[in-house]
Amino acid sequence: MYSDPILRVEGLRTHFYTFAGVVKAVDGVGLYVNSGETLGLVGESGSGKTVTAQSIMRIVPTPGKIVEGTIEFKGKDLLGLTEAEMRQIRGKEIAYVPQDPTTTLDPVYTVGDQLTEVIMKHQHVSKRYALNKATELLRSVEIADPQIRINQYPHELSGGTKQRVAIARALSCEPSLILADEPTTALDVTIQAQILDLLKALKEKFNIAMVLITHDMGIVADTCDRVTVFYAGQVCETGTAEQVFEKPKHPYTEALLSSVPSLALRKQKLSVIPGNVPNLIQPPSGCRFHPRCSYAKQICVDKDPELESIGDGRFVHCHRWKELELKSAVAS
Amino acid sequence: MTTALASKKSEPGRGVSQWALAWRRLKKNKVAIAGLGVVGLFALFAAFDGWPFVLTRNDHGLFAIYPPECIPPACAGGTLSTNAPPSLSHPFGTDSYGYDVYSEIVYGTRAAFVIGLGATGFALAIAVFIGLAAGYFGGWLDNLLMRLTEVFLVIPFFLLLLVFLQIIIKFSPSATGGLWLVVFIIGAFSWPGAARIIRGEVLRVREFEYIAASRQIGASASRILFRHLFPNVLHIIIVLATLQIAASVLTEAAVSFLGFGAPNSYTWGQLMNIAASYINQAWWAITFPAVFLTLFVMGFNLLGNGLRDALDPRLRE
Amino acid sequence: MSVLKYVLRRSLYLIPVFFGITLLVFTIERLAGDPVQLYTALNPHINEAQRQALRQYLGLDQPIQNQYFTWLSELFTLNLGYSYSSGLVSTLIAEKVWATLELQLIGLALSLLIAIPIGILSARKRYSLLDVTITNSSLIGTSIPVFFLGVAFILIFGYYLHWFPSGGFQSTLPSQYPYGSLVLDLLWHLTLPSAVYALALLAPVVLLVRSSMLEVLRQDFILAARASGLSERTVIYKHALRNALIPIVTYVGLYFGGLLAGAPVTETVFNWPGIGAQFVVSTTQLDFPVIQAIVVLITLMTLIANLITDVTYAYIDPRIRLE
Repeated sequence: MYSDPILRVEGLRTHFYTFAGVVKAVDGVGLYVNSGETLGLVGESGSGKTVTAQSIMRIVPTPGKIVEGTIEFKGKDLLGLTEAEMRQIRGKEIAYVPQDPTTTLDPVYTVGDQLTEVIMKHQHVSKRYALNKATELLRSVEIADPQIRINQYPHELSGGTKQRVAIARALSCEPSLILADEPTTALDVTIQAQILDLLKALKEKFNIAMVLITHDMGIVADTCDRVTVFYAGQVCETGTAEQVFEKPKHPYTEALLSSVPSLALRKQKLSVIPGNVPNLIQPPSGCRFHPRCSYAKQICVDKDPELESIGDGRFVHCHRWKELELKSAVAS
Repeated sequence: MTTALASKKSEPGRGVSQWALAWRRLKKNKVAIAGLGVVGLFALFAAFDGWPFVLTRNDHGLFAIYPPECIPPACAGGTLSTNAPPSLSHPFGTDSYGYDVYSEIVYGTRAAFVIGLGATGFALAIAVFIGLAAGYFGGWLDNLLMRLTEVFLVIPFFLLLLVFLQIIIKFSPSATGGLWLVVFIIGAFSWPGAARIIRGEVLRVREFEYIAASRQIGASASRILFRHLFPNVLHIIIVLATLQIAASVLTEAAVSFLGFGAPNSYTWGQLMNIAASYINQAWWAITFPAVFLTLFVMGFNLLGNGLRDALDPRLRE
Repeated sequence: MSVLKYVLRRSLYLIPVFFGITLLVFTIERLAGDPVQLYTALNPHINEAQRQALRQYLGLDQPIQNQYFTWLSELFTLNLGYSYSSGLVSTLIAEKVWATLELQLIGLALSLLIAIPIGILSARKRYSLLDVTITNSSLIGTSIPVFFLGVAFILIFGYYLHWFPSGGFQSTLPSQYPYGSLVLDLLWHLTLPSAVYALALLAPVVLLVRSSMLEVLRQDFILAARASGLSERTVIYKHALRNALIPIVTYVGLYFGGLLAGAPVTETVFNWPGIGAQFVVSTTQLDFPVIQAIVVLITLMTLIANLITDVTYAYIDPRIRLE
């Protein structure tokens, strides 16, 4: 056990050097996770959540590069490690569950093959031992008939089962932190609930910290202890789920919450955030949200705010947070 | 995604047509533009007697063109010189018969275009017909056509080409239509690969909703085929055409090189065939035609590959 | 289903295709006209009665379907008949087929052994100078006609540099063997033709390996594999390569058929005593039994190559076995 937080990210900047220009996908992100806790990363597509997770594991695909920042895991600076040392951490201490279960498994190898290769790589055990362990893992993620499944190929499994396999692979070496990238987005609604429950149960049983990336506020409310709101590659605010949902401190959070459709609001039009997601090659000056913010003032155009700690574990990235009395559309 | 394909013309003030988009993408691909440039130069070369090199005609100026079958001194004056190295009067030298290699290469360029365009036109006409029919109608017709295609694909058509040509050569050595026969045979055997690819595209496109919608409002099969399916497989046809031109010319060159070329025609392959035995004394006679052949084929290949990338439907925005 | 069942299914399927081909070949050949007429047309010493006798002897006066079936049954008993000029066809072919196979297979193996690593390297170091060089040279390489390459190689390495013999399968005198060894002599003669063969296939394969690898490396499961802490070598060679191989196998299978059909050219250029060179000679003479036999043989070889391709495919990609 290590003293919290188990993961701490500060001032992370990850840029993509493309032919069209430099895409500043993550530009000044800070967050932290305590052991055993679930942190939700919320935001629209393209807001930098996935790139942040990839940066933590240092698997950002080319032409991306981590330009600046601190990433501390259990006290170790991950950005200072060599690639070989990093490989000791990936899959073993920090695990990743990617988004689309239909493409995260190699189609030409059996489920068993793919699970055992990870187990054998990190734990230096025999194939037989690894196979047994893999079968047990499949059982623990609630897959029926694991001894049959283990010899099957990905295309023979349903989406939900594939996702369970991906989770099993992530758990196989008993990591302390799991990064789950929209684990339920690609699944049917009924399966979604099962997978989320599974994640919650496993997390509790093994006391694993989890970073859950999602754009679904409902999932955040249901599963996450704390939440970090992303916009255009930056963090808007961070706090516990109750704090952020009941008393949001950032205009974007307020707008996000009010655009969640709800049966109670049936007669009202869905509210929409005006404007478009900004171009990350040439982001707006100052605060990136200012063109779409109903509370924007001149200072918001001129200067990019700091991510301030405002006590109680809350952080806000806004010039006007003190003055604004934001309303939550979903407060109970 | 499907609606993006529905209109080819740009509505005023609203976006840009697919073809313009593709052209823009193509322009960014420098290699493909180089290919296009090469093809263009060859076209000019063939059409205008070796432009941009030609300065005079039927004279003895630099890069002059001698008429076919013309060997000095019998025509155009001058002196006979066989296997002469490149010089001012013969910029690419002469071959063992005394022909000016440069002039022969110019005629070869024309022949190359005839072969390329002719064989490709013929092959693609068949391939489009079969591909569309098999892909659209499916069922037993598809099965039958695909089996037929497979049989044709397995046959070593190069070998049969040689046999056919040998028969023709032996029995009508003065046939002036010789080149067209080569064109015809190459075209007759080059359709299978293209037909399969076109059929694949048809299968992909026919699943688009607007085709089903057309069917539901009662459009006839031929209307669907021509107005909807065909324009959407056009992009693949263009790519196949450029690549087939290169392949046809290469095939004919191989055939002629072996000595089975169409009589009374002047192709690069035939030039190389004549020059092969004298390669030690006159390397220029075989090398220059080979270089032109390589450049010609390369131009079309590069252009075809570039077009394939530019027109790839998966990259459509 | 298992690989074996898949193989059996595909082989069954080849049979009608094979028959179709024999029919096609037979028809095309007969369309050319009466073989006896063609063969003896320019010989003034043969009169019509002799031609008729010849026809009877060769069984050419039978109705055409009978001729086809006779030929077919002879094929199956490996009785390939007599060449008009060179004796027993089967002997002729048996002598030469090994030379062709040797060249084809070694050329293919060499080509793949070189092309795959180069393609992978090019994909891994995308946008680097190395990649750009490899890609552009390969693009040029796909356009160079094989026969010119062969002629150029012979000229440079054979005539000017004298490093390799300019053709042939084997030296005519044992005294010419390098270091007195027959094996070395054979290899010495094999070098240039197989190098040209390998080069002919190299360029398109490199480009294909590269583009296929690039496609695969973009996939999620590669990211997931890296995220599991697997070594880069495992990621590339165990996961990426096997997936990338699928289109490559298809292409090589197709291309190999084309290369096989191009044997006449390479073998003629290098004076290589294989069935390709023999085909050119026999075609010039319109020696039909030999022509037929070689066409059918090469077709058969192509079919077998296709079958092997299909089998490899099914082995690499378990999804195929369902079809």
